[in-house]
Amino acid sequence: MKRGFNVPGLALLQGLVGLALFVWLWHLIAASGAVPRAFLPSPEATWNAFVRGVTTGDMREQLLGTVLRMINGWLLASLVGIALGSAIGISETLRNYLRPTLAFARALPASAVVPVAIALVGLTPGMVLGVIVFGSIWPTLLATVQGFAMVDPRLVEVSRALHLSRFDFIWKIGLPNAVPDIITGMRLSLTVALILAIVGEMLAGQEGLGKAILLAARMFRAPDLYAGIVLLGLVGLVSSYGLLLVERRVARWRR
Amino acid sequence: MNGNAGSVVIEFRDVGLYLGGKEITQNIAFNVRKGEFVCVIGASGCGKTTLLRLVSGLYQPTTGSVHVDGKKVEGPSRDVAIVFQDYSRALLPWRTAAGNVSLALEAIGMPRAERADRIHALLGKVGLAQHAQKFPSQLSGGMQQRLQIARSLAQGASILLMDEPFGALDAMTRQSLQDEVLELAADSGVTVLFVTHDLEEALYLGDRVVALYSNPGRIARIVDIPLPRPRNQLSTREEPDFLHLRRELFGLMEEIHA
Amino acid sequence: MSGWRGFIVPAVLLLLAEAGFRVFGYVGDTLAPPSAILRGFVEAIGDGSMVTSTLQTFATVLGGTVIGAAFGLVVGCALGFWGLLYRFTYITIECLRPIPSVALLPLSLMIFGFGYKMEIAIVGFATAWPFLILTYSAISQVEPRLLEVAKVFGFGPVGTAWKLVLPAAAPRLMTALRLCVGIALVVAVTSEIVSNPQGLGHELMIAQETLRPHRMLAYLVLVGVIGWGLNNLLLWLQVRMFRHRGEIDTEVAA
Repeated sequence: MKRGFNVPGLALLQGLVGLALFVWLWHLIAASGAVPRAFLPSPEATWNAFVRGVTTGDMREQLLGTVLRMINGWLLASLVGIALGSAIGISETLRNYLRPTLAFARALPASAVVPVAIALVGLTPGMVLGVIVFGSIWPTLLATVQGFAMVDPRLVEVSRALHLSRFDFIWKIGLPNAVPDIITGMRLSLTVALILAIVGEMLAGQEGLGKAILLAARMFRAPDLYAGIVLLGLVGLVSSYGLLLVERRVARWRR
Repeated sequence: MNGNAGSVVIEFRDVGLYLGGKEITQNIAFNVRKGEFVCVIGASGCGKTTLLRLVSGLYQPTTGSVHVDGKKVEGPSRDVAIVFQDYSRALLPWRTAAGNVSLALEAIGMPRAERADRIHALLGKVGLAQHAQKFPSQLSGGMQQRLQIARSLAQGASILLMDEPFGALDAMTRQSLQDEVLELAADSGVTVLFVTHDLEEALYLGDRVVALYSNPGRIARIVDIPLPRPRNQLSTREEPDFLHLRRELFGLMEEIHA
Repeated sequence: MSGWRGFIVPAVLLLLAEAGFRVFGYVGDTLAPPSAILRGFVEAIGDGSMVTSTLQTFATVLGGTVIGAAFGLVVGCALGFWGLLYRFTYITIECLRPIPSVALLPLSLMIFGFGYKMEIAIVGFATAWPFLILTYSAISQVEPRLLEVAKVFGFGPVGTAWKLVLPAAAPRLMTALRLCVGIALVVAVTSEIVSNPQGLGHELMIAQETLRPHRMLAYLVLVGVIGWGLNNLLLWLQVRMFRHRGEIDTEVAA
């Protein structure tokens, strides 16, 4: 009963038909008037708003704003996360000392840090970036620690026998071994970064899709709201799948 | 049980099987009589496990047909019990030993009130009576396999298929389980089709041995085992017939494994 | 939990923070020393706000998780049992799933206004997809050997599902629940920070806006503790429930 991720041609067709059915169902419900148009615009209206927004440039800039914010925070978080994670991961002592601290930090919702960040730095772009970094660092950091901690003890012995320096160990054995885990962590980090970018825009009023949909909702402009949601969903989809592909390629040697 | 003219319960009629583009078995044709203990030996990949799955109805042959009790096998039936090699995966980890045996009784529709006695009796037969309330994770490998055997007996099937059941166990456990299975089979009169890669095990247990070539699986030889019953781990293995058969088939085994 | 060593770092950090504040005599409206944070706790418990807001957040976490888990369980099981249904819906699911729950806040706000409904809807959406995926995974990856046993014993689809598939999938379903509760908490607090004027997230923002850092940090610590505590509670429960099976699925929330 095991189903793999790669579904053959017929299944792809069926999936697309299913999607079409879903959109058609959406159309029927919207057309029937069972739900107020202000709450559920028709697929056509959403599509028009989407095309309008993307072509006349407003949503383009907003998209860029959100995506750049997300990517910047994510890249910075990944760098710091991997660096810190490597340092912690190779040292069993450090791991033991830091385990509860890390567990607590992981459990803390990143958005809860937003008020603290506002208090410290004020409602600035820097604050938003800082929150994105702080929030999205954990999956990558923890995955890196895990990747290093799980290095086969045999390989550790090999590196000792070969008298590899600490740096060499990290670079030649630890990192390659940890890369699949790190990429998985980075994928989760990206999801968090997107969420925090949106939160930051909504709270700090920065230009981006988050702020755009908030405004659209306030003005009851449902098609624009839905178009924005769809676009954000696309961002999530593309970034997630992009990294998933990388993850697959990188993890090929495993199993 | 020695070459008695019982009725034919399992029939392989020129059976061939293709799986995943590979030819697994080819021209398999032999019969098993009621109450017989037939062992199938061969190298890994010769399709011996496949034969069991064909009899149990979990696979369908590509060519030819398999018949049980005169009827063509279309799917699994309660009259054919199968004991898997990977016992830990075939047992329900969330039920106790008693619960696992009970599953078979639930399947044949035995009312709840009668189950307890039967479970107790079956567990007693395989020597697990005191472990009835233990979970599979708390039982040793040998005990888990015994549990699986008890469950298959609970099914009340007339045919017992065993897929290298002792392969994952240590030598001592293997020997005691071999004797237990012989006793159970003699007791209940079930027909047994037993798959193994161990020649000596096959000679020790069986009335007949079917040896298969590999890639694809084809019948190499079918040999009668004229050794007296009941079998004994020490004396049977020293019988001249045993040694003679062993020598004779040794060469064949080397050929098969080549 | 690992030994005492793990607690040295937080303890040292707290001591340093306390000392730092006292030595440098910093009295500000942005941060507070641990002692002041304790005072913040007392204050917030005393005026009832901590209890009220905690209950409010818990209510939405509970309500949202129940909705999300129910949806995820039913659909996940359906997809797991009927491959055809899976093939028709997987693309649609993959398109709906990546929508960040935050992006739906304005929509939910527009439809429901402030209050419980709006937040529960968001939490429900956020927990539904992971639960669906994990349920589907748990159901479709049941040990094939067990399914063969079911076939040999002649159990029909209902018997197989009830006696074999669901019990076999139970540990992973429990893990799914644990992970989703964690997600629910994060989403609930986020909703409260961004828009909904109730619950712990709201109290956090209020404390910051009224320049009461000791109170703000107290709430921050509380949120962290609740998240950590919920996960460990469910983990403990999970271990206890399935200990006798011999295999422990201690996948931790990422």
